[in-house]
Amino acid sequence: MNKNNRLQNALFYVVVVFISLVVLFPFLWMLSSSFKTQTDIIAWPPKLIFSPTLQNYAKVFGEQDFLKYFINSTVVGGLAVGLSLVIGLPAAYAISRFTQRRLALFILLARLMPGISFLMPWYIIASRLDLMDTYVALVLSHMLIALPIVVWIMSAYFNSIPVELEESAMVDGATRQYAFWAIILPMSGPGIITAVTLSFIFSWNNFMFSQVLSMEKTKTLPIAVYNFVSYAEVDWGGVMAAAVAIMAPAIILTMIFQKFVVKGLTMGAVKG
Amino acid sequence: MASVDIVNVKKSFDRAEILRGVSIHIQDGEFVVLVGPSGCGKSTLLRMIAGLETISSGEIKIGDQLVNDFTPRDRDVAMVFQNYALYPHMTVAGNMAFSLKLRGIDRAEIDRRVARAAEILGLTALLDRRPRHLSGGQRQRVAMGRAIVRDPRVFLFDEPLSNLDAKLRVAMRSEIKDLHQRLKTTMVYVTHDQIEAMTMADRIVVMRDGRVEQTGEPLELYDTPANLFVAGFIGSPAMNFLKGTIEVADRTGFVADTGTFVPLPPSPTHGELAGRPLVLGIRPEHLRIADGAAGGFEVGVKIVEPTGSETQVTATANGADLIALFRERHTVRQGDQLHLTPTHFHLFDGQNGARLASVSI
Ligand SMILES: Nc1ncnc2c1ncn2[C@@H]1O[C@H](COP(=O)(O)OP(=O)(O)OP(=O)(O)O)[C@@H](O)[C@H]1O
Ligand SMILES: [Mg+2]
Repeated sequence: MNKNNRLQNALFYVVVVFISLVVLFPFLWMLSSSFKTQTDIIAWPPKLIFSPTLQNYAKVFGEQDFLKYFINSTVVGGLAVGLSLVIGLPAAYAISRFTQRRLALFILLARLMPGISFLMPWYIIASRLDLMDTYVALVLSHMLIALPIVVWIMSAYFNSIPVELEESAMVDGATRQYAFWAIILPMSGPGIITAVTLSFIFSWNNFMFSQVLSMEKTKTLPIAVYNFVSYAEVDWGGVMAAAVAIMAPAIILTMIFQKFVVKGLTMGAVKG
Repeated sequence: MASVDIVNVKKSFDRAEILRGVSIHIQDGEFVVLVGPSGCGKSTLLRMIAGLETISSGEIKIGDQLVNDFTPRDRDVAMVFQNYALYPHMTVAGNMAFSLKLRGIDRAEIDRRVARAAEILGLTALLDRRPRHLSGGQRQRVAMGRAIVRDPRVFLFDEPLSNLDAKLRVAMRSEIKDLHQRLKTTMVYVTHDQIEAMTMADRIVVMRDGRVEQTGEPLELYDTPANLFVAGFIGSPAMNFLKGTIEVADRTGFVADTGTFVPLPPSPTHGELAGRPLVLGIRPEHLRIADGAAGGFEVGVKIVEPTGSETQVTATANGADLIALFRERHTVRQGDQLHLTPTHFHLFDGQNGARLASVSI
């Protein structure tokens, strides 16, 4: 490596670090604030050096019933993703093998439309059917988020699997359904992991549907953050600690499955 | 084991007609090769026999059964795909056992059949490997193994050797032929390689553009091609063609449009054909160096390619290239002028390409 190259490399890293700082700044600010006292948070100029405290986290996990919200989010996300797989995997397979492009586009539209346009119908349906503050309503609404992701990622993934595999299985004596079950699904691991990770994170982060359809019983994490916002004042430390606690699982999930997710998302774009 | 009857089968995708009425009778135990240029509908026809493609009209029978509306699993055929389509998450043994498990055959019998197929194909040491840890030739064998464990009524092959290198292809060619001799099961084999067709087939079906051009034993197609297309397709290097007419007046012979005059001995057929637009067809090995300048037509040598057993000479006669194949060793060099004469030739109709006569001199 010559001098010129080394300079280029150094420049590259400076740019990368700069961009990362800009992107990560809110996150870093949030992270540091979650360890500060209320006075430190609103101090001006902002304190870079402070004595960290765990009192915010204690509040989040102690005073607030955070475990309950955590379980709610997990149950809602898990069920929504699970049911979306049950419906979405066969749907994606059919879209891929019988080239139902219009259907695929229609499903994508559900994802592209602003979520807010579904709020009124959901609210009316849920209240008329007496489903407010139930898992049923919340899971169904979260499937609106998870299902299009599953269908889109998986139909692209199935497109990359040669049809001859099922055809061979069918000549070998399988029905199409069995070929899907015994041949296609077992080799779709990376695609399914991608779809599950992304749709679970989107469900986990969802604020709008949960805000409207859930009350105290089924409240999910993003809504629970609001417990720290009262009429009189905002408990910034609590909000920040709660936000960190909410983001942690999403970040951990992404880090674990990052390799699969990148592979799954670029599947079909590149051959082989 | 069963015969296969294909009766006036047609296939259209959307509006495009891909097969335009194909009829082939394949006997029980026969090895039939479908051959033809790319896109002529060979794979489509094979897939229709397997039940992977619907039949637009016509009938396909396996044995005495009309199978038009049968699903692939009910047809009891085995197919080897061009890309092998091995199940990547199963071992070699698992790939071969898949169809047997589906048929509910008991464990001991499955193991026995897999072991026997593995032995025939030399895969015994590889039974626990996954397909991605196999070489191309080994994968090809596994695909064959998956077919032969089943003892199906008919084997279907879609260009199974086209992904292999030349040497392996030649080796597998004789192995498949050997396998056929051993199993005596009906086989339908698709290829666009006419050498594969010639060397392996009991009978060849030459297709073009969704139609059967000719059906026959390999040497029958070689010696008496029905038309120009078959004549040009079968044989390598290909048959030489000259467009022109027969002349019987003051000299007897073939006058090519390029001006070349090929002297021919008198024959009664010439009289009938004189004056009509014709195509003269001469296979490369049916050209010899004429005894005297008067006995042949003059060509200029462009390329000389000796292989030891024979010498291939590419020459040009008034702008038309010809290939001659000599078993004897002539000392010809690039730029030489030669006089060539046919020992055997065909005459084809200049309009519809049908073969009109074949003459040995
Ligand atoms: N599913 C399909 N939809 C539309 N057209 C098709 C379809 N499958 C095949 N064709 C067309 O049918 C024609 C014949 O295809 P086929 O695969 O049978 O050719 P082939 O003789 O096997 O050629 P090759 O030697 O290249 O494999 C081609 O023109 C092809 O484009
Ligand atoms: Mg083909």
